[in-house]
Amino acid sequence: MSATVASERIKAPLIPPSTHRYADVIHRLEAGGSMLPDTPENLKQIIGIYKAYAVPMDFYWRDLLYIAERVFLNPLPAFKYFISQEYLDRPNSYAGDQSQLRIWRGGEKAHPELLEFMERGETGRMPKLLHHLWHDRVNMEFAEACMQAMLWHQGMGGRFNDYLESDAYKANADRAIKAYFKGNPLMLGLYALFPDMFLEQVRQLSYTANLGLFWEVMAPVFFEMSDIYDEGGFKGVPDAMDFIVNGIFAVAGRPIYHHLYIGDECYEIIPKSEGFTWLYEAALPYVEAVFYRTAPFRGTKSYNAQAGQVPADQADFHYGILYADVFPVGSAGIPPTLLMQDMVHFLPPYLKEIYREHKRGEEDELVQLGITFQRSMYNVTSAVIQALRCALLYPLDDTNPEHLMANRRFFEAQMDRFLRPEARLPDIQSQNYR
Amino acid sequence: MDLLLLLLIPLLAGLVLPLLPDGSPWVRRGALAAALLQLLDGLWLWQHPPAAISAGWLPQLGLRLELGLDGLTLPLVLLAALLTAMAVMASPVDQSRPRLFFALMLATNVGLIGAFLARNALLFLLAYELILIPTTLLVATWGGERRAGAAIRFLTYGAVSGVALLAAVLALGWLQPGGLNFSYTALADHSLSAVQQRWILALVLLAFGLKLPVVPLHGWQPLTYSQAPTPVAMLMSGVVSKLGAYGLLRFGLEFLPDAWAAWSPWLAAVGAISAIYGALNAIAQLEMRRLVAYSSLGHMGMLLLALAAATPLSLQGVIAQMLAHGLIIALLFCLVGLIELRTGTSAIPELSGLLNPQRGLPFTLGLMLLALLAAAGVPGLAGFVAELLVFEGSWVAFPWPTLVCLLASGLTAVYAIRLFNRVGFGRLDNDRADWVSTSWGERAPALVLTALVLVAGLWPSMLTGFSETATAPLALRSSDAVTVIAMAPANLNSPNLNPAQLPA
Amino acid sequence: MASILETAASVGVFNTLLAAVDAAGLREALEGPGPFTVFAPVDDAFAALPPGTVQTLVDNPPQLARILTYHVLSGAYSREQLVAEDSWSSLEGAPIPIRCKDPFEVKNATVVTADVVCDNGVVHVIDRVILPG
Repeated sequence: MSATVASERIKAPLIPPSTHRYADVIHRLEAGGSMLPDTPENLKQIIGIYKAYAVPMDFYWRDLLYIAERVFLNPLPAFKYFISQEYLDRPNSYAGDQSQLRIWRGGEKAHPELLEFMERGETGRMPKLLHHLWHDRVNMEFAEACMQAMLWHQGMGGRFNDYLESDAYKANADRAIKAYFKGNPLMLGLYALFPDMFLEQVRQLSYTANLGLFWEVMAPVFFEMSDIYDEGGFKGVPDAMDFIVNGIFAVAGRPIYHHLYIGDECYEIIPKSEGFTWLYEAALPYVEAVFYRTAPFRGTKSYNAQAGQVPADQADFHYGILYADVFPVGSAGIPPTLLMQDMVHFLPPYLKEIYREHKRGEEDELVQLGITFQRSMYNVTSAVIQALRCALLYPLDDTNPEHLMANRRFFEAQMDRFLRPEARLPDIQSQNYR
Repeated sequence: MDLLLLLLIPLLAGLVLPLLPDGSPWVRRGALAAALLQLLDGLWLWQHPPAAISAGWLPQLGLRLELGLDGLTLPLVLLAALLTAMAVMASPVDQSRPRLFFALMLATNVGLIGAFLARNALLFLLAYELILIPTTLLVATWGGERRAGAAIRFLTYGAVSGVALLAAVLALGWLQPGGLNFSYTALADHSLSAVQQRWILALVLLAFGLKLPVVPLHGWQPLTYSQAPTPVAMLMSGVVSKLGAYGLLRFGLEFLPDAWAAWSPWLAAVGAISAIYGALNAIAQLEMRRLVAYSSLGHMGMLLLALAAATPLSLQGVIAQMLAHGLIIALLFCLVGLIELRTGTSAIPELSGLLNPQRGLPFTLGLMLLALLAAAGVPGLAGFVAELLVFEGSWVAFPWPTLVCLLASGLTAVYAIRLFNRVGFGRLDNDRADWVSTSWGERAPALVLTALVLVAGLWPSMLTGFSETATAPLALRSSDAVTVIAMAPANLNSPNLNPAQLPA
Repeated sequence: MASILETAASVGVFNTLLAAVDAAGLREALEGPGPFTVFAPVDDAFAALPPGTVQTLVDNPPQLARILTYHVLSGAYSREQLVAEDSWSSLEGAPIPIRCKDPFEVKNATVVTADVVCDNGVVHVIDRVILPG
């Protein structure tokens, strides 16, 4: 396994060319490239959007952990998006001087641009409650939609979901619930009556913690990529992909856990000692549940389950960003709209420039950046595919044709998932898709 | 002189525009200025009723330059001026061969205003025939793919209409007991025998039935409306077809009341058939322009019903419907034109998701919804006022045809919602959705028309206030009962439609 | 004969592996009677992992233990026995596929030296760290 995928490019082909419909993409992957073509504009677009994504993500992970660890089973969680100062200042494990593995050169507290936005929003300075009600804020609803996708699709790899059904988990959760509702006979009474309902809520909170810990890593990764690009660091899209591949390996062993804090006391619902890792229990389930599957959303495009427009089998769900029709962004009831709306506040100037020059300029910025986001997520998915190939299969410069064929089969199997008509893989091959 | 100005402004502009250098932006601006000036003049005349003009022209033929403005024609003149201005605004800034195009538009306008102002049947006939030529040329030169066929058909139907009217006007003039006389005052004396009236009414019905049109004389209409360039379609559907309704009111109801009263049950039936036929066809259309065209046909049927009923209330409805439908249909064609301009098609199956807030045409579709609701007669919009008057006024005379028209009005909602659902909702075609949003300049005519549709809905006297005094004396029946009062001589002989009856 | 860990220490190319075993707190277990089958990655195999990978694992013993136990089978099996099956169940729980008999390949790693017999089991030296999944 070598550090950079790019250095593994094969010199002379030892196996015949692929006959897959996406043979071009497969050959590019075999040459150490990304599903996204290597063009300067693609590089500029994806780095720009990573940065715009990382700022709200810095809020998402903090608030997700705040909800999982502090708000917990609050029956009226009206203020769950009103994150405490403690969590805004919570040091990111991969940024700042205190970090053992420093991914981002920046500080460990909440990003300054995020704090500025929380202060002023689009409207101006006013009480936090008004910002919240006017929806001039970071849309945590999007983060929760992602969490629910993971919860709903359940066993997407790893052992996390199995553990949620284990007796050990149930005992931990029971202890936490009883501690949380200590001195509250009404809730304790309800718990005695409907224990499974409470347990299921705790499972959802465990996924909340899981996603928060996952994004705590991705935010500094994206910030660092933006800083490297600003210095003139990345030569092309594969470089950017390699950075993510390396990042995936570097933090693969990060523990995934769920702790509850009542005052200063910590209740371990999923202890670190269970050995759950970032890669297997968070990253891979996240990619599968959110990038590929998610769920059909309500809105201008409605799905009629009775008419067979929604597959009966959850495994056939393909509504994630890799398949999404970004054009309805901006319509009511389209969850990605929330993310696009969050990202539009933090676009770097060069990205705004690109949008101004194309299509309707600033008028359809949300759609343009949505498509950029789609491109960037194809690149992240490429990094995941390359990392998996790296971990489970063979180097790209392997000299054994059988090993190369095994890689080929793996890549083809991955591309098979994009044979569905709604997949956007063919679209992102062209710069005209905006 | 005031009245002549209404005619002279577009006439002079139409003559001067072709002299401007090719490609000059002042051609379009000049045409717009002329139309707006005319509109202003019309508004001024509303407040300051002008004296009628009567001068000799070709006395041997009985042709006199007799012009006048009354409560019946004032709103139509205003409508014609307004829609001419809106049509010019709705024409593309880079209109091809602009000098000829706008000159022909203004020529159409001259014909329309002339016809409305005329107080002499022969003069009316001249203006009526004049309109046919520029409109045919406009369709033939700037129309859609099938423009040649559309223009030929339009010309043929128009020529038949013209010949029929010529015969009717000549007969009316020659049969005057006091010798050759085409003056409206003479024609309104009703000196013709019942048999004479019926023969002439047959010709009048043919002439204006073709223009309106009503079933079964509508063969030219869907094709022509769908092939005409947007501004021309706005003008033709908005005003030219109203000339048919005006003609029926003037020549049929006013000049030939006995025959009209006798035949009115049949006319009401034809109106009801037109209404239901238009609505059903509109539901079946796969093309927006044709849908709007059939919708128009349906509303013309309702107009005919109200004309046939001829109660004071239904005649109010006729005027209100002419104005409301003129605004709404022009708005619809304007919006369809905008959609076509952006998407490159008006085929309903090819369009969807246009309400998409970022990449669709949300503004245009929003106005479209309003226009469709207005056409369907939703309260608060212009169409409601007009249809309510039509139905309420006609019910006492012809309950069954009125019921059928009510049903047709209900069907309006069916095709309106169907169109909106198909075109507005659903998934936006990603490959096709590569157009810029509409500019304020392009939206302007639609915005003005929408505003008027709204205002007229909330303030209905805008549609009826002009003409209350002018139409009441024309009534053949009372609004309260089914008794035919046409034979009451007091009503027939009252000198009506003089300028003094203009609302102050 | 020496135990598995003693044998590994004496060769000198398993320094990272031994350090990792200590960090994960697995020394005691591996010194037990076993018997075990250990697929032992050489130092170069760990070095080939992207920077930070090993460090993160060393900082988190439970997670490190999970990766290490994926390299261990319960029971002592020789190459001959191993190649007879398509897949073996590791101590970690995930299966280890045997992809090729000759050359002897365990998952995506190649066995450099097979059948190093020790007191409490068998060691097969591999050239790459294998990962579950």
